[in-house]
Amino acid sequence: MTDANQVQERNREAQEAVDRASSYEWGFTSDIEQDFAPKGLSEDTVRYISAKKNEPEWMLEWRLKAYRAWLEMEEVSWAKLDIPAIDFQDAYYYAEPKAKPTLGSLDEVDPEILRVYEKLGIPIEEQKVLAGVEGARKVAVDAVFDSVSVATTFRAELEKAGVIFRSISEAVREYPDLVRKWLGSVVPQRDNYFACLNSAVFSDGTFVYIPEGVRCPMELSTYFRINAANTGQFERTLIVADKGSYVSYLEGCTAPMRDENQLHAAVVELVALDDAEIKYSTVQNWYPGDAEGKGGIYNFVTKRGACRGARSKISWTQVETGSAITWKYPSCILQGEESVGEFYSVAVTNNRQQADTGTKMIHIGKNSRSTIVSKGISAGRSNNTYRGLVRVLANAENVRNFTQCDSLLLGDQCGAHTVPYIEVRNPSAQIEHEATTSKISDDQLFYAMSRGLSREDSVALIVNGFAREVLQQLPMEFAVEAQKLLGISLEGSVG
Amino acid sequence: MTLLDLPSNRDEAWRWSDLSALPEIAARAPAGVVPEALPWIDCAEGPRLLFVDGCLDESRSDLGPVAIGPVEVDPEGHALARLAGRVGWSLRLGRDHAPSGPVQIVHLSTGGADHLAGEIVLDEDAQASIVESFVGEGWSNRLTRIRLARSARLMLARRVMASVGFVSFTDRATVGEGASLVATVLAAGGADTRIDGSILLTGEGAYAEAGGALLARGRQRHDANYVVRHEAPQGTSRQLWRSVADDRAICSVAARVEVARGAQKTDGEQSLKGLLLSRSAQVNAKPELEIFADDVKCAHGATVGELNRDALFYMASRGVPREEARALLTTAFVADAIERVGEEAVREAMHADAEAWFAKTPLPLGEREGPAAEGGGRVRA
Repeated sequence: MTDANQVQERNREAQEAVDRASSYEWGFTSDIEQDFAPKGLSEDTVRYISAKKNEPEWMLEWRLKAYRAWLEMEEVSWAKLDIPAIDFQDAYYYAEPKAKPTLGSLDEVDPEILRVYEKLGIPIEEQKVLAGVEGARKVAVDAVFDSVSVATTFRAELEKAGVIFRSISEAVREYPDLVRKWLGSVVPQRDNYFACLNSAVFSDGTFVYIPEGVRCPMELSTYFRINAANTGQFERTLIVADKGSYVSYLEGCTAPMRDENQLHAAVVELVALDDAEIKYSTVQNWYPGDAEGKGGIYNFVTKRGACRGARSKISWTQVETGSAITWKYPSCILQGEESVGEFYSVAVTNNRQQADTGTKMIHIGKNSRSTIVSKGISAGRSNNTYRGLVRVLANAENVRNFTQCDSLLLGDQCGAHTVPYIEVRNPSAQIEHEATTSKISDDQLFYAMSRGLSREDSVALIVNGFAREVLQQLPMEFAVEAQKLLGISLEGSVG
Repeated sequence: MTLLDLPSNRDEAWRWSDLSALPEIAARAPAGVVPEALPWIDCAEGPRLLFVDGCLDESRSDLGPVAIGPVEVDPEGHALARLAGRVGWSLRLGRDHAPSGPVQIVHLSTGGADHLAGEIVLDEDAQASIVESFVGEGWSNRLTRIRLARSARLMLARRVMASVGFVSFTDRATVGEGASLVATVLAAGGADTRIDGSILLTGEGAYAEAGGALLARGRQRHDANYVVRHEAPQGTSRQLWRSVADDRAICSVAARVEVARGAQKTDGEQSLKGLLLSRSAQVNAKPELEIFADDVKCAHGATVGELNRDALFYMASRGVPREEARALLTTAFVADAIERVGEEAVREAMHADAEAWFAKTPLPLGEREGPAAEGGGRVRA
C-alpha cells in the first residue's frame, strides 16, 4: 500500500470512529499466545517476574523489600471514590506475549501485535518512516504490550544524540548504575499502597536519560495497552533530564473491552536537574466500562516529578477520558530555585465512571512558580473530583501559584467536586485559587445549533472550547486525538 | 470529666488540628472568680446570660424567653460536640416573635474544662440576634443546635476573646424555606480555637452565611471546619473567611459547599483569604465544592499572601508610620468578614475587638501568652 493510500485509509477509519463510537472503539481482544506468571501474588510471583527478566540480584532484593512493605500497608480510602474490594490474588501479575526473545525492529514483531497497533491507529509518523518515507515529525515509540516492551525504535538516532531510551528491563541490565541511582528516588517504595505494589511487581516500562545539554531530537512516545484478561499492568517509567536538557514525552493508553475490572498501577518518576525541562503528556482512554458500570480499568497511578535543579521545569498535561476509576495526582516537587511546575488536565467522566485526580505542587526552592489548570467534565451518572495541594515551605521565598479549576456538568445525575488544599508557611508567597462550576448554557447550545450543528456536535464544540487551555498544551499528534476523544467520551450524554 | 478520646491528624476533618493541650487544660481546677467587668455590649436591652464554667450565674443573668434545661441535640459522633452533653440553654420563639433586643451570652471560663449545649428554635417568621462572648482561660466547649422554620431569621455572632486556653464550638443548623441564618465568628483573643459547623438548607430559597475572622499570634492555632449543604432548590450561601497569622501562629480554614442532587438554582460562593504577618506563621485553606446538580452557580476563591507592598509604600509616602500602616491594612482585610454582622452595636463591638487585637504591642516570642481579653476579660485566678 502506498503511503498516500495509507493516510487516506486511516483518515476514513478515524472518521468512522467518530461516527460510530458510542461503544468503545478499541474494545477488541486479540489472541496472542501469552506467557503468564502463575495467578496470584506472593514472593514467588515477584521472584518469577525478576527471573523472567534476567534481573540482577539487587533488583530482586529491591522488589522483595517493596513486596514485604506492601504486605503491611493499607489501601487508601480518602479519595471520593467507591472502589470495590480488589482481590489481589485473583490476577495475573505478568503476561508476556510469546514473541521472539530479542527484537531488532518492528519488522520482527508478531504480525498480530502489529495489527493491534494499527487498529489503535497510533504510530502514524512511525509507520511512515517504516514505509521509507521521511516523516514531517519524528516520534520514537516504545510500545508496551501488556508487560513487555516489544520494540524500541529510533534507537540509533537517539543514541547518536546520547539519549538513552530503553524499556526499563533493558535499562536495568544495560545501565544498572543509572537505574539504581534514580529508581525510587522520587516515589519511594513505601510512598503509597499502589506505588509499593508497583515497586514489587512492575513488569515493564520506560527509562529515559537525556544527557547534559542535549535537546532530545524527537518526541518520545509510549503506548500502553492491556490485552490479556485479568492481568494487572504495572509499568514503571523513569525519566532523568540532566543539566540543560529537554525532553517531551507522550504517553497513550488503551485497553480492550473486558468484563472484569482490570487493575493498572503505574509509577512515573521524573527528575529534572539544573535548567532541564521535561514535558510529560498523557492521553488516557482505557476502557471505562459499559453504561451500567460493568467492567473497566482501575487506574491507580502515582506520577511525580522532582525539579531538583535551579531553573528546572516539569510540565504535566493529561487528558483523562477512560478508566472506570481514576486515582491519579501527577505532582511536582519544586526543590530548585526558580523551578517551575505546571499541571494541565482535562478529565472527562461519563456513565458510571469515577475520577479523583489533581496535582500537588510542593514549593521548596526560592522563586519557584507553579500553574494548575484543571477542567473537569462530568456526564451521565459519573463523579469527577479535582483534588490538589499547594504547599509552600518556610524557606521558599517569593513563590507564585495560580490555580484554576473549572467543572462542567452535563446532566443532573452527575457530580463535580473540587477539593483544593492550600498550605502556606512563607508570607512572601502569592497563592491564588479560583474555581467555578457551571453547565452548558441553553444560549450557547441554541447559538451553535442555529448555525446548523447537531446537538452533539454543538456540545463537543463547547466542551472543546471549555478545555482549550489544556488541549493547546498537547503536542500536535495528541491534540487532534484528544479532541476526538472528548467528543466520543461524551457521546450519548446529552439530548 | 470523661476520658478524652480525641481525633488525630490522620482524620481528614482534623488534619490541621492540634488538640494536644486539651487534657492538660482540662485537668486544671477552675478558680471560680468572676471579674467585675464582663464583655456586655451596650445596646437595646435584651436577655443576658452569664455562664461561669458552664453553669448559669443567675444573679447576673436575665433570662427573658431563654430557658435552661435539657436540649435536643445529636452530636453525630463529633469528638468534641459529643462531650458537650444534652443540657444547656434553649431559646424557642413562637411564630412572629422576637426578643426585645439581642440575646447576649457570656461564657466565662475560670480554668478547667466546661461543656454546654444550646438550642435555638425559631418558628415561622420569628427572628433573633444572639451574640456569644467567650472569655477566661480554660477550655470552653459548646454545641449549638439551630432550627429555623419558614422565613425565620437568625443573626448569630461569636466573639472569642479568652486570654488563654481553648474554645471549641460546634453548630448544627437547619434552615427552612426562605429562612436566613448569618453566623459570624471573630477570634481575637489568646486562646486556641476549633470551630465546627454544618448548615443544612432544607427549604426552598433558604439563605445562609457562615464565616468570620481568625486572628492569631504567638503559637496560637485557629482551626475552622464548616460545611454548608444545599438540599433544596434556589438556596443561597456565602462563606467568607479571613485569617491573619503572625509570629508562629497557624490559621486553618476548611469550608465546604455541598449541593445535593435536585438542589437546582443553588448559588454558592466561598471566599477564603489568608494573611501572613511573619515568616514563621502558617495559613491553611481548603475551599471545597461537592456538587451533584447541574444548574447551579458555585464558585470559590482563595488567596494567601502578605500585606500588599504597594499599599504599604503608599502609606509610608503619606507619612503613616509602618506599624500603623500594617494595622490599618490588616484591619481593612478582616473588616469584610465582620461587616456581615447585621446588628450595629454588635458589629461595632467586634470591630473594636479586632482593633484592640491589632493594637497590642507584640512581645518577643516565647514571652507571649496572648493579649488579655478586650472589654474587661482580665481574668486571673
